[in-house]
Amino acid sequence: MSTAEFEDVMDLDIEGVEASTVHPVGPAEMEARDVSVWFGQRKVLEGVNIVFPKKTVTALIGPSGCGKSTFIRTLNRLHELIPGAALAGSVLYEGKDIYDAAVDPVSIRLQIGMVFQKPNPFPSMTIRGNVLSGLKLSGMKRDNHDDIVEETLTAAGLWNEVKDRLGNAAGDLSGGQQQRLVIARALAVQPHVLLMDEPCSALDPASTLKIEETIRELSKEVTIIIVTHNMQQAVRVSDYTAFFLAEEGTPGHVVEQGATTEIFGNPQEQRTLDYVNGRFG
Amino acid sequence: MRPWRKKPTRFTASVTLAVVIPALIVAALYLTSDIPVPILLVVIYLPLQLIASGIAAWATKGTRGIADSVIIVNAIGASLFSVIVLVSVIGSLIVRGLRALSPHFLFQNSVYISPSTPLDYGGIGHSLVGTLLIVFIASLISVPIGIATAVYITEVRGRAVPYVRFFVQAMSGVPSVVAGLFILTIVVATGAFNQSAFAGGLAYAILMLPTVARTAEEVLKLVPDDLRTGALALGSTRARTVLRVVIPAARTGIITAVILGVARVIGETAPLLLAAGNNDQTVVNPFGSPISSVPTYIFNNVALPYPDAVTRAWGSALVLIILVAILFTLARVIGRGRVGR
Repeated sequence: MSTAEFEDVMDLDIEGVEASTVHPVGPAEMEARDVSVWFGQRKVLEGVNIVFPKKTVTALIGPSGCGKSTFIRTLNRLHELIPGAALAGSVLYEGKDIYDAAVDPVSIRLQIGMVFQKPNPFPSMTIRGNVLSGLKLSGMKRDNHDDIVEETLTAAGLWNEVKDRLGNAAGDLSGGQQQRLVIARALAVQPHVLLMDEPCSALDPASTLKIEETIRELSKEVTIIIVTHNMQQAVRVSDYTAFFLAEEGTPGHVVEQGATTEIFGNPQEQRTLDYVNGRFG
Repeated sequence: MRPWRKKPTRFTASVTLAVVIPALIVAALYLTSDIPVPILLVVIYLPLQLIASGIAAWATKGTRGIADSVIIVNAIGASLFSVIVLVSVIGSLIVRGLRALSPHFLFQNSVYISPSTPLDYGGIGHSLVGTLLIVFIASLISVPIGIATAVYITEVRGRAVPYVRFFVQAMSGVPSVVAGLFILTIVVATGAFNQSAFAGGLAYAILMLPTVARTAEEVLKLVPDDLRTGALALGSTRARTVLRVVIPAARTGIITAVILGVARVIGETAPLLLAAGNNDQTVVNPFGSPISSVPTYIFNNVALPYPDAVTRAWGSALVLIILVAILFTLARVIGRGRVGR
């Protein structure tokens, strides 16, 4: 299929995407080396190798159950909290293995933030309290809390909607607003990497668009890794894409990875082509 | 306008008949025969009502309606039954005890009061203070331990969880008199403390602990895991996650756990007879001397051969129920306090 045909099918403007992909490929912020994952006896991921360059957006795509969410949770050591979880290989962050015995998982999670599929603001806190909760929970000291609240909420595209009711309960916000609130919350602790596990799956198109704008904006400062089921979203926001697949009875693995334009415009593998064109998954 | 409320006249008529006819038959039987009321209600009225509703349902909705009507009639019957039980308990308290209630009954003690003293003098102020003090001490001990136990089971998930669960469960089966005896032997008989509010509170705490721990465990389990991982992903330690996110999210439920714990013990008499003793004076020092409480006051007075003493006992029971209602309402109001605004 030619790029033109592909654009036609996907109703996309690849030229526009390419124009927005101007990040220089810098040194790697994170790297997964030969990562395999088990839950009990069941192997769910095998030999994943991905490099995440600094200040870029990498999309992880693939059908449900192929291990994308599992993989993204290995990157900030949330994986180990699941009973029966096991892992082989290494995950490098700034060149050091985060699974090294000397590494405190709490400090890793402080630098590698995460936004989940379902918005999870803390119901016992106000909007402002939620934004600042990361500072309180991690014991991080930062001055000028008012500025932090405004900055992060602005970055998450929520400031204008909530600036007059920062003292309200976070639960009063709509789903889309809650999701942007938890993005602001993740930003308040100034992470170097932001993991996003299908952050828009529960949102309406308008909120989705806002969050995508936020992602593009954030990628100037932060390395972002995003799991998504939405192909157009992957094309719109990411610089690089990795395609995960778990074929019948085998653990999930990366079939193909590379620049997003390549994966969507000129995939080398038939299975990638089929998936990005919606023929399965 | 509620269009779904509209019913055909035939339906209204048959339902009315189904309600009126059995009631009329039972009323007639009640007036003409001397069948005891409970038997009349259960053996005659309930089947009659079931048949009448069944016929009405069959006439309007066909066979499909019969099962419906059986369930509805039984559900209404069962809920009426529990309401009747509650109302008759409170009713009998009011009938027999209301006469004893007066301001001095609530605030005076029984120092110069003998069982034959008329109702114009004396009161249960000393017992109320005692009950409040003992329950307060018991809560002070059992609530933190109970919540900590629940946290161990649901949050820490250590290796001992099955054993802890088992012991908590076994503890909830401890008869209250055994808790009293236990404290009597290891605290009072050893000379560590007198019979006192503190000793009584210890006995109550033994009884409250399993209720608080198990209820708190249930409500902590209801806190979505999303919140825990969300907090951990922000670089929180486990302890901070529990203290700042999980427990606040479960606040209302934890208050319920405390309420249920208090409800479990507040009427218990045996442990206090043994561990707290009795006193006609008002005692506020939790360690000093034996102390009265409402249940022991009731126990000491209800079987006396003096009508005024018995009335005072019923009056105290009424006060105890009102006290429980006030405590629960208070806890609910505190628990409802919403975030923000």
